[in-house]
Amino acid sequence: MAEIASNAQQLALVIALLGIGCGVYAGLTRRAAWSGVAERSVYVVATLVTAAIAVLFAAFALCDFQLEYVSRTSARAMPLSYRLAALWGGQEGSLLLWLWILTLYSSVAVYTQRGRTPTLLPWASAMLLANQVFFLVLLNFFTNPFDLFPPGQAPSDGTGLNPLLQHPLMTIHPVLLYAGFVGFAVPFSFAFAALLTGELGTAWFRSTRRWSVFAWAALGIGILLGGRWAYEVLGWGGYWAWDPVENASFMPWLVATAFLHSVMIQEKRNMLRIWNLTLIGLTYTLCLFGTFLTRSGVVQSVHAFAQTEWFGRVFLAYVLLVGGLFFAALLYRRGELQSPNRLESALSREASFIFNNWAFLAILAVVFCGTLFPVATEAVRGVKTTVGPRFFNTMTAPLALFLLFLTGVGPLIAWRRASLASLRRQFLVPTAFAGLVAAALIALLGRDLTWYPFMAWTLSAFVVGTVVQEYTQAVRARTRRGESPQRALYTLLRKNQRRYGGYVVHLGVVFILVGAAGAAFNSETLQNVKPGDSIALDGYELRYLTARPLPVGHYGGAEARVALFRGDEPLGTMAPEKRIYWLEQQPASIPSIRSTLREDVYVLLTAVEADGSATLKVHRNPLVAWIWLGGVVFIAGTILVMWPHPERGTGDG
Amino acid sequence: MSKGVQIAIGALAIAALVAWYGWTSLGGEGSYRYFQTLDEFRAATVAGPARVHGYVADGTIVRDLESQSVRFEVQQDPPHAGGTRGQTLPVHFASLETPDLFKHGAEVVVEGKLQPGTDSAVFHATKVFAKCPSKFEAEATEQASF
Repeated sequence: MAEIASNAQQLALVIALLGIGCGVYAGLTRRAAWSGVAERSVYVVATLVTAAIAVLFAAFALCDFQLEYVSRTSARAMPLSYRLAALWGGQEGSLLLWLWILTLYSSVAVYTQRGRTPTLLPWASAMLLANQVFFLVLLNFFTNPFDLFPPGQAPSDGTGLNPLLQHPLMTIHPVLLYAGFVGFAVPFSFAFAALLTGELGTAWFRSTRRWSVFAWAALGIGILLGGRWAYEVLGWGGYWAWDPVENASFMPWLVATAFLHSVMIQEKRNMLRIWNLTLIGLTYTLCLFGTFLTRSGVVQSVHAFAQTEWFGRVFLAYVLLVGGLFFAALLYRRGELQSPNRLESALSREASFIFNNWAFLAILAVVFCGTLFPVATEAVRGVKTTVGPRFFNTMTAPLALFLLFLTGVGPLIAWRRASLASLRRQFLVPTAFAGLVAAALIALLGRDLTWYPFMAWTLSAFVVGTVVQEYTQAVRARTRRGESPQRALYTLLRKNQRRYGGYVVHLGVVFILVGAAGAAFNSETLQNVKPGDSIALDGYELRYLTARPLPVGHYGGAEARVALFRGDEPLGTMAPEKRIYWLEQQPASIPSIRSTLREDVYVLLTAVEADGSATLKVHRNPLVAWIWLGGVVFIAGTILVMWPHPERGTGDG
Repeated sequence: MSKGVQIAIGALAIAALVAWYGWTSLGGEGSYRYFQTLDEFRAATVAGPARVHGYVADGTIVRDLESQSVRFEVQQDPPHAGGTRGQTLPVHFASLETPDLFKHGAEVVVEGKLQPGTDSAVFHATKVFAKCPSKFEAEATEQASF
């Protein structure tokens, strides 16, 4: 079977190369027949790659340790779901997954665009195939997941997967991240095609908007689930550490968010045409760069994979080539991209979107510099110096607050030029609501309140006020014409789903920031306790009952039983675990978490000591649940935005 | 003034503001971390806070529950790679909160400083980070602080 898959990969490479040739020829000569050949080679490559990955999935399911890759990332003792997820537990499989998603996306994109954008399509097909070729070359010649052990030398069992990755969230988090990263290949390819053909209208982003929104949402949710995984598995009490791998996925998301906002200006006012192309080019380049960061191990971190040096070089060269070609094409077309319209006033929705864009790019600059700081200092001074989370928090917090402010302001300001009277009318209710919340915060928290959480929560209230006002105004306008409120709300979401769905997305992001600001009030304690002893933390009492061995299976170890009280009220028993994964010879501390909307109590068993006492670490993390709640709202908003529209069809959302 | 000059002045003002903000907010300790190998650390003459990279020497870990601290020794080369033990650095860590992967032979980074006075040869660590052995592809968690 592995030979078949290897052959499928090789054939896919040949067909992709031929497809590029046909696409370019069709693009140059405008012959539809050749464009059709390019289109069909996209489908054929997708089929071949699907066959290859199916073989690899089967090999994991059947524990076929003849395959060197399967033996390296899985073991018989692992449950089937984790064995399947082990496909993206290492380098080769991750690259194959990347490629597979890309081929599927390419097929759907090409299929839905047939006949809609005849000049762009052959070039876009060639672009998509060119991206596939890079991964096919890597898989065929450098990191082939179908490499076999010499006959008779296959091990009887695999060496297993890093235990930290054996978690339900790890079966979905990498897939979502890749679904996001790869998704931007589609708008990028159409943008590139627009630059090559000179068809510089709005077709390139109108035809791929759904892709941009989908990729952006998948990436956002993937990042959030990664945070959740870190919180539940890594056992340091937090969900985001500005680790290079986290940053690698966050950077393209920042630019993509700016992009989704600024294309609206191009649509309404035909402005910012160069800017939007720049943003989509930067987004995809950063997606590739992020893959490079995580895959090459250039900045060592949680799941950076140790790899030989050539891999990093080849990958970096590819990233620079793709980005370089795109921006060279953009430079070449810059004269044709000048917009006839100018910004009329700083008090306009356009202006608020431009500020929004600059703030997102400023955060990007901070994250980029902070992430690459160790690489730069190592290259220049020979020593690795890293900047800690404090650098990132300090530098991004004011920018995040500014963005939160703009999130509230944007919808309240008119396009072109806002009048003072309209501003006064629009701002009254949200500002009053924010004022109320600010007063309540001061009354409630008094001296404990610090500047950043105060601003974050007050501005969050402002945004919530804006969203509620937008909804009520629109619903009221409809009910005045005789519609029932429910009917009015339904029509609103149906007729202007991007706007009103977008507000729901804003709410989700606000909830996430409300939760993140809670970190300013975190507290923690570490104590060594004998059975029967208690630990006190901020009104909670944690009584250590006993430690008992975990049932022996794929892993063993100990579990501590801890009774949790608030005052005299018992809240339940918590059971943090200290696991040892036998095969992998690796320990892991699994926290026990009691989560409420108010705060989380997070307990870790740091060690069971020789005398029977336990060393426990207890964190109290306020408002963390709001982050996950915000994620759910974010998903709901995205679905509202992307829901297929009955009249306009599914192709252009 | 031409538009270009206006933009340049605006950009300069913003850059100055950011620099001032960063400088005043990040002046203290804890923003920048700086790694040295054990040999480099020994060669350096400047005392003060440092982050030293090495490996936990075999059979040196002592968990003292009474004083809630951990003592161990760090050596330059990994013990399992046939590296000689050489001169070790005794470390005192005033907490029982050792990372999951902390054990004999583990690759560690200790953050702290040599305490002048009574016990000048002992490195007083405020943080201990551990990495998993290179046997596995994935790097293990660094116990990050947020």
